Amino acid sequence: MKIYSIKPLVILLTILLVGCSDIDALQDDPNRTVNANPELLFTHLQIKAFSSNVSLSAALANRQLTNVDGASQYQYYTWQRGNFNAYDNLKQANEMTKEANRTNQDVYRILANFFKSYFIVEISQQFGDVPYTEAAKLTEGINQPVYDTQESIYLQVLEDLKMASTELAATNETISGDIIYGGDKLKWRKLINSYALRVLMSLSTKEGQSTIDVAERFGAIVNNPSQFPIFESNEDAGFINYVDTDKNRYPLNRNNSLQTAYYMEKTFVDKLINLRDPRLFAFAERTPNGVANGLAEDDFNAYGGLLGSAPFSDLAVPATEGNASRIKPRYYEDPINEQGVLMGYAELQFILAEAAERGWISGDVAPFYEAGITASMNYYGIEDEASINTYLNHTGVKLTGANTIAQIMTQKHIALFLNTGWHIFYEQRRTGFPVYDTSGGGTGNGGRIPKRFMYPESEINNNNTNLEAAISRQYSAGDDVNATMWLIN
Amino acid sequence: MKVIINFFVLYLVVFTTYSQETISGMVQDNTGVPLAGVTVLIENTTQGTATDFDGNFTIEAQKGDNIVFSYIGFKTARIAITNQKTINLTMVEDSEQLSEVVVTALGIKKEKKALGYASQEVAGNLLEKTKEPTVFGNLTGRVAGLEVNNSTDLFQDPKIVLRGRTNKTLIVIDGIPVDGSESGNTDYFKVLGDDVAQVNVLKGTTASALYGARGRNGAIMITTKKGKSGKINVALNVSTMYQPSFIRSPKVQTVYGNGNQGNYAYIDGSGSGTEGGGWIWGPRVDQEDPSTPSGLFETTQYNSPTDPVTGELIPIPFTSRGKDNIKNFFRTGYIRSVNASADWGSDKSTFRVSLSNVYQQGIVPNTDLNNVSFSLAGSMKPADNVNISGSMTYNKQFTENFPEIGYGPTNYLYNLVLWTGVDVDVRDLKNYWREGQEGVQQRHFNISYYNNPYFQAYEYQRGYDKDNIYGNLSLAYELVPNLTLKARSGINVWSLYRTFKEPKSYIGYGSKSQGNFEQQDANLFDITSDLGLRYEAKFSENFSLETEVAYAHYFKKQIYNSISTDGLTIPGFYNVSNNLGSTLFGENREEKSAIQSFYAYADLNFYNTFYLSLTGRNDKISALPNGNNSYFYPSISGSLIVSELFSKPSWLTFAKLRGGFSQVRDGNYNDNSNGPYSLLQAYGSGTIWNGVPSSSALNVLINPNVRTEIDNTWEIGADLRFFNNRLGIDLAYYNRLTEDTILRVPASDASGYAFRLENGGSTRTKGIEAIINATPLKSETFEWNTSLNLSHYRDYQVSIFGDAERTKNYVRVGERTDQIWDNVYQTNSEGEVVYENGFPVFDPFKRFIGHAAPDLIYGLSNTFKYKNFSLSLLFDGRLGGYMYSITNQKMWWGGKHPGTVNQFRTDANNGESTYVGNGVVVTGGTVTYDVNGNITSDTRTYAPNTEAINYITYNQTTSDRQNHNYHYYVRDYIKLREVTLTYNFGKATLDRLPFSDASLSFVGRNLWLSSTLENVDPEFNDNLQAPATRSLGLNLNLKF
Repeated sequence: MKIYSIKPLVILLTILLVGCSDIDALQDDPNRTVNANPELLFTHLQIKAFSSNVSLSAALANRQLTNVDGASQYQYYTWQRGNFNAYDNLKQANEMTKEANRTNQDVYRILANFFKSYFIVEISQQFGDVPYTEAAKLTEGINQPVYDTQESIYLQVLEDLKMASTELAATNETISGDIIYGGDKLKWRKLINSYALRVLMSLSTKEGQSTIDVAERFGAIVNNPSQFPIFESNEDAGFINYVDTDKNRYPLNRNNSLQTAYYMEKTFVDKLINLRDPRLFAFAERTPNGVANGLAEDDFNAYGGLLGSAPFSDLAVPATEGNASRIKPRYYEDPINEQGVLMGYAELQFILAEAAERGWISGDVAPFYEAGITASMNYYGIEDEASINTYLNHTGVKLTGANTIAQIMTQKHIALFLNTGWHIFYEQRRTGFPVYDTSGGGTGNGGRIPKRFMYPESEINNNNTNLEAAISRQYSAGDDVNATMWLIN
Repeated sequence: MKVIINFFVLYLVVFTTYSQETISGMVQDNTGVPLAGVTVLIENTTQGTATDFDGNFTIEAQKGDNIVFSYIGFKTARIAITNQKTINLTMVEDSEQLSEVVVTALGIKKEKKALGYASQEVAGNLLEKTKEPTVFGNLTGRVAGLEVNNSTDLFQDPKIVLRGRTNKTLIVIDGIPVDGSESGNTDYFKVLGDDVAQVNVLKGTTASALYGARGRNGAIMITTKKGKSGKINVALNVSTMYQPSFIRSPKVQTVYGNGNQGNYAYIDGSGSGTEGGGWIWGPRVDQEDPSTPSGLFETTQYNSPTDPVTGELIPIPFTSRGKDNIKNFFRTGYIRSVNASADWGSDKSTFRVSLSNVYQQGIVPNTDLNNVSFSLAGSMKPADNVNISGSMTYNKQFTENFPEIGYGPTNYLYNLVLWTGVDVDVRDLKNYWREGQEGVQQRHFNISYYNNPYFQAYEYQRGYDKDNIYGNLSLAYELVPNLTLKARSGINVWSLYRTFKEPKSYIGYGSKSQGNFEQQDANLFDITSDLGLRYEAKFSENFSLETEVAYAHYFKKQIYNSISTDGLTIPGFYNVSNNLGSTLFGENREEKSAIQSFYAYADLNFYNTFYLSLTGRNDKISALPNGNNSYFYPSISGSLIVSELFSKPSWLTFAKLRGGFSQVRDGNYNDNSNGPYSLLQAYGSGTIWNGVPSSSALNVLINPNVRTEIDNTWEIGADLRFFNNRLGIDLAYYNRLTEDTILRVPASDASGYAFRLENGGSTRTKGIEAIINATPLKSETFEWNTSLNLSHYRDYQVSIFGDAERTKNYVRVGERTDQIWDNVYQTNSEGEVVYENGFPVFDPFKRFIGHAAPDLIYGLSNTFKYKNFSLSLLFDGRLGGYMYSITNQKMWWGGKHPGTVNQFRTDANNGESTYVGNGVVVTGGTVTYDVNGNITSDTRTYAPNTEAINYITYNQTTSDRQNHNYHYYVRDYIKLREVTLTYNFGKATLDRLPFSDASLSFVGRNLWLSSTLENVDPEFNDNLQAPATRSLGLNLNLKF
């Protein structure tokens, strides 16, 4: 009898205790998407390509800033290995192509080719031969991509850029997710072609040395502006505007080290003072002594720097003596500060000036050169024509015809202060100008400026055979920072 | 209280009995030692008592009653009342002493001698007297094969390593797994020690095979206290443990202050000169200087007065006023624990209530932790063949603020010790706002890199508020004799609310805060249910069988969301409405997962001598793709009581051999950001640029056909007892092969992905464990028990995915997997470091440094009992294995290590470069490497390095790592983990007090430490840990 009274309780408990749910209904992730619209990847690639070209390491290696808080491997030229992180961007470009094909929006496939070209050049110029034709194809089963020769990579890049510009002109599709040009296809074509000119100029030492006919290709773009339009002003340039929102701010905003540990480099400041360059006032803060002595902000005597090549132990004391300028506070205080640069109009003008000097295009060097300087001045908010003209006619600025390449590179070096990433380093490597100071006795690497980065150590573990083949065909002494890659050979 | 209970007893007496007799007596063991705490119960009633410390008891009974005496380890005695007034009983030890019943997987109770695998119990009373932040801390050093590393910081999880696997041990409370165990996110704080009756550690896969993959790395089974049949028990347990001093804190130099190259002058705290670098390579403190008003060297400092005329800072003496900063800043922490419980039971039902409160005051000002639990447990037998039991615990953990850990400006020691010179007295920093900038700018000697510790303690607030509810309900219904229906369900529910309040001017790594507020909400529900049929049969005296077939279901749902500001408009107002930026940032997640399983086991007993156990389980799991997500795995284990096979010699009490094999398949993989969906390829959401969203593919390519990983483990063991149990030895050996490990296999970065997620590679772990128990001395008044446990393991690479030559950790097939590789300096064939410009030159290839795993983990406990006193001591530690010490490295780097005080430093402060590094310079020739870093040709010639460099620069560049093994240190240590001195009040005293039992203990934890590594406690990983404290206190345990 007792059993009967208990039974309902038992049944109820059993039902309550053992529930059920369908396994199959729980297998999708509600938090992430499996497919993405191509414009989402497009925005991602733009952020990657445009917004992160502010490099303190490059400013140290390029003798523009000096770090007094630690012996930087960039300042003292003791760096060893680089990394292959940028291949992730190549993958994102491939993903954009995949999603473009899925959604029948060909314009994103065309744009993807520009980004692939941009990022592979960024990688290759650090190392030499790197994987390209087989790169970013793990989804196709390629785990260990072979290394392509730098020459073949550059050739492919030039072809792809040309095709991208042509195809972009032909398509009627609209571009969304465009945080750079607001969907203006003409401006994207101008960027692509201007960038192609940069790539060609970076091959200047290969003129007549390669299957790539550098000068001819250069002329083909410049002389055919309707088919291959290029930048016509800063309005067209490859700039990104920073925004006062988290992760959209100027990369050095609120950076304590920049305020505390970095000073202007002495040779850079001295050059700006010698040339009476008003951009100094946009780059640097007056020295403590300059302020104490009541010198005006536009008084060149109010500025100074610290020698980047000096032994590290010799930097601490001069830093306290009040004769060195720190960087202008806007770099760490203003969340928008200045535009991020993939490639500026000033740079293009200097490229054209150099091309004119090398005879790749017709015309005088001076108009390009002066337009470049003016564009750079404008970038820093210096619009006053009179002072720009004064500068253009200043000794050392005005072209004399004797050291034209050196003068162009000096101006490029100034114009690319803390922008355009490491580009000016590669330009200096190519031309030897401006001469970077190693006289202070502090530099390592036997007093040499490295010409490249060693391949990342991860490749030893993960792509050993291909890496070994690439090293042995390029560098007889092995993977070394002082070895000379094909590009500058 | 006693009065009330007496009334209650009286009530029972009046209404339930007549012609009661008072019976008294004494209980002892066969050696004549009185037995305290023997349960004395009148059969089939609730009337009962327990013997006192002298073995005496008194009970009311009537003729015809049976009095039952029961005590663990002894055979239960039943004595019928006829006319006797006195019962003096000698209880007989259970012949094998091993009909100890232990709780095994799924809460199944088994005789220990039947087990074919290693398990080790820790009695709950060991957790009562001394208080650790978690009960798991109390297990430290007590279980062979179990390594518990306790953090020195407040409210941090212990690191639990069982048989070489870290923080993956399943935690089971009353048969129900604690949430998150399988993903390594266990809440170690929700079980409080006063509620724990027993802990049983199931060490290997075989032991926990029935939990399936969740129990793959062993399990810690916690059995909570339940009501006992018999009388009402009311208990009060009060502990307070203070942390008055440190057993380990960084010993720093007090000779040199803030600054660089011997200079220091404060300007504005943000780097207009020597002040800003934040180095501790400044001038000597307390230097005499006759030219100053004080007669000491003076310079401008952050608390210099301002000259009212010039507006400039006035130099003040540069002295060692901050010598005692550690002592002056940290306060005495304490743990205060109160538990009250009552239980009662009859043969029909039992009931227990318990209330616990553990309050921990952190050593950092304004930090604490409250941990409160309320639990109910009960059982009832509504009919003879039905048993229903359950328990429910509500636990709340809350604090307004607990410290952030890890190296960086959010760490107290970072701001207090590593990066503050002796010239700054922390007591002068109590006023932590800059005058006129209250709420906006903290006041500190350096406002670029460091935080004022008081500002950090009182303004940077990390709140935590978690409500836990967990419990279980189970039903056993004997359908027909020997066939029982079992249903059980356990739930874990929690909700967590966290807040992060960051004041303006707070220094994070690299940037200065504009103020921020973030709140996070998370909640979880999980349920584990089993429904099974159990069959028991005793076919003869010599053969019996127990078997069960069951269906189990596990479901988990977790929700997380967060919202944060982008700066704050009004300082100190922490609400998202106070956002300075244009948008708030938020995230939300929902995760659901389930496992459906069938399992069965059969336990066979032959002649009480040979035991065989078989298990099998089939899981279907939502986390794996269809086709691969249903899988079976078995185990088999057995034990043989060798001592039953022959007539054993008198010195041998018991001998058992055991062995087993098990397989576990595991389909769980959690990448720590995507939960149960970690095996699905999907896009990640990216930065929103000026309102435009973005998305990107992640850097792991997931094989869509991922399978389970498999553990195949075999283990053998022996349990030997000698001299009437005075000496016991338990040995275990295990061998675990892990195959098809689901892991991130590195891909060439050029492939576009950093990793592929694959079933890649296999490893083998081999280990041994030994437990030696002994009672070297035992007399009527004195007893000494000692227990030693030892363990050792090694993990080897068996194969590598894709037959690659090395894993991402540089391990080759056949080698140990715990290798440490790091960047080192170039050396010549003699091992001398190569220098250039006076500095050592880095080798571009990482090189092998050492192994991380210990050679030996050990624990030694001793208990001495003399009359009413008992004293126990526990030592534990480890030998072998390397660890990186960031604290020591940064002390050399920043100038705080006492070793930096030497003539070279004096010279450097005087502007002289006198330090010559120990090594050679290359005078000619070249070296070339092959792609793997092997030297292919080396024509280098050398001369000794003679170039003198600035000693300060040398340390700032190298952290002197060449002379300190790159700051990898051997992790040997020994700790006096625990000392407990207890006085048990005797009967004479108790009779005058309202207690049935009372004890007072002086307790100490972490009393002494000896290690080769200086400045940090090697027990826990060094990521700039808080000082290790010594705990001392009192415990009062009262039973009414």
